[in-house]
Amino acid sequence: MTSPLFEVQNVTLRFGGVVSLNNVSMHQNRGEILAVIGPNGAGKTSLFNSLTGVYAPQEGSITFNGEHGALSIIGKKPYRVNAAGVARTFQASRMFSAMTAFENVKIGAESHKGLGVVGAMLRGPSTRRHERETDERAWSLLRFVGLEQQANTLSASLNYGARRRLEIARGLATSPSVLLLDEPAAGTNPAEKNELTTLIRRVRDEMGVSILLIEHDMKLVMSLAERLYVLNFGSVIAEGAPDEIRSNPAVIEAYLGSSDAGTAQGGL
Amino acid sequence: MKYLNAPALKRWGSLVALYAIVTVMTGPPGNQSSPTLGFTSSFSESVSFFGLFPAPRGVFFAALFVIIGGGLALYRRTALKSVLSGARTAVAPRYAALTQRKATRGVFYAIVLLVAIVLPHVVTDPFWQSAMVSQIAIYVLLAIGLNVVVGFAGLLDLGFVAFYAIGAYTTAWVTGALPAAAPFHHAINPFWAIPIAIVFVMIAGVVLGLPTLRLRGDYLAIVTLGFGEIVTIFLNNLYGVTGGSTGSNQIPHFSIHLGPLKYLWGLDPVPYYYLTLGFVVVFLVIFSALEHSRVGRSWVAIREDEIAAESVGINPLKYKVIAFAIGAASAGFAGVITGGQSLFINPATFTLSFSINILVLVIFGGMGSIIGVVVGSLIIQTVSMYLIHTPPAGFQNSDLYIYLGALLIAMMIFRPAGIWPSKRRRREIQYVATGEELDQINGTSDVNGETV
Repeated sequence: MTSPLFEVQNVTLRFGGVVSLNNVSMHQNRGEILAVIGPNGAGKTSLFNSLTGVYAPQEGSITFNGEHGALSIIGKKPYRVNAAGVARTFQASRMFSAMTAFENVKIGAESHKGLGVVGAMLRGPSTRRHERETDERAWSLLRFVGLEQQANTLSASLNYGARRRLEIARGLATSPSVLLLDEPAAGTNPAEKNELTTLIRRVRDEMGVSILLIEHDMKLVMSLAERLYVLNFGSVIAEGAPDEIRSNPAVIEAYLGSSDAGTAQGGL
Repeated sequence: MKYLNAPALKRWGSLVALYAIVTVMTGPPGNQSSPTLGFTSSFSESVSFFGLFPAPRGVFFAALFVIIGGGLALYRRTALKSVLSGARTAVAPRYAALTQRKATRGVFYAIVLLVAIVLPHVVTDPFWQSAMVSQIAIYVLLAIGLNVVVGFAGLLDLGFVAFYAIGAYTTAWVTGALPAAAPFHHAINPFWAIPIAIVFVMIAGVVLGLPTLRLRGDYLAIVTLGFGEIVTIFLNNLYGVTGGSTGSNQIPHFSIHLGPLKYLWGLDPVPYYYLTLGFVVVFLVIFSALEHSRVGRSWVAIREDEIAAESVGINPLKYKVIAFAIGAASAGFAGVITGGQSLFINPATFTLSFSINILVLVIFGGMGSIIGVVVGSLIIQTVSMYLIHTPPAGFQNSDLYIYLGALLIAMMIFRPAGIWPSKRRRREIQYVATGEELDQINGTSDVNGETV
């Protein structure tokens, strides 16, 4: 099992004439907390969407070596990619707003149990047992992210930090090998940021789920990530440990040359 | 001036405008010598106000709406409301309270069922007995089926009548009532048409659904609209197969012949009423179980955010097709009953306005709320039948849809979630309308962080 979890080779993604990802190659090792950083519009979210099957890049290959063997992700639908073991959160969190926090997690926990329409209609004993199991699983995940007090709150009325944690719980409920976090700290306050950092580390340490993270908050990234990729204009311009990235001239150049210069310099 | 803020003025103003438009549309025509007569007499013409005093016709119908709406509102404010809109979404309930509520609800449903069983012995008027089957029970069946598609899965289906037609024509076909050769050597009774029709209709649902359910919103509505029309046109034009516009020959009645058990359904509508009632109960139980199952929750997830649903492993197309097929099954079943009971079918029954009529029942009752849809269909169909059977002065059958349309507009203004909405739908509508303000409505939040 030495093959990397994600293997991205020479991926190019175009929208008409716009090149969103240009010959991107990267990999993620098992159990690694990996971060992708870069200025706005560098292609980070495009990369995420390619990794989860939302976009299908025109060139290159993406291989995911999950528990169920290798899967070539390009051309697969998002639910298929999720079934293979890739869970994600969204940049602007996408909750099922009219559902409670508990129901949000439950949806994730039960989506991969066989279809069972007939079972659902008749509500037989095995359906009930499944239901109990998913309930327990959803509860334990809510406890894990510290939301059991708000289990019955509508997700729309949770505060931003809680929504982020709930999205992580919902993703974890699908039993993934890797969790992709798209700017998990956006819009959270410093206290929530610290909680989130701890939580993300616990996800990896206690659940053994690898983490792939996009983040603008340099403090969070530098303290959390074990390795980073830096994207700029759709290309990988640097790769390495946080310390190496901090002193990489190409990275400093990319950040200074963009509107993110201020924040980046402060963080770097 | 607390009650006369701008939105309230707008709402009540539009209601007054609606009243005027409906009154003119349903009023008497003018003539060449006095062209404004139609307009003026629309407002001055009087009818008897429930036999009490003469009142303008518009006032009579407005009062009818107010009585229905007010009655329901009153009813919902009583103790039963908490029982029925109960805590099925509660997760860590106090079990004693929940069990008791469940028991109360069970008693309530038992009473309703009992009333439904006794009803044909109380209402002996032949018009009503027949209407109870063909205009009420079957419409309830159709409405709860469409509710699975529109309410649960959130797919606007304007061609629902197609499945109803396929069910009815399948019955005619297998019982040898169509010009097309029957599939079996000897005539079979419509009972055996039930499984066959349901399978046919579900196949039709899947065949229509697989390519079209990739579309969203308006596009899907247009395609299903087209499907409904295509089926009707086929029925009209395939003379050698369907009998064209003249329709089928005589379809035999339902009958049971199982060992010592022998029964023949005849011209009397009451046995058909019980047959339909039985199946309505079965469908209600099944759909309700489905709503609170994994499948039901997946529908809600897809309805609320398809992209997020896909990201947690739900295959939207699969669940949409399932909803389509299940909704279609109940329509197909309703078709079989119609075929067996009315003995004769022709394409004129299966029109676009029929699909829309069923949709009105669902929207009026409350999309996604099984009990709402049942109550909504009962009210609308009963009132419609009442107006047709004993028309008040100035009422013409062709006016019915004008009144229903007005009713629907008034509903959208005052109770957009329907007369008896599901908890979840109400929340969704509130969320869309108010966004972040939901915190205040809900009163359970703990907002201390920033909201972005």
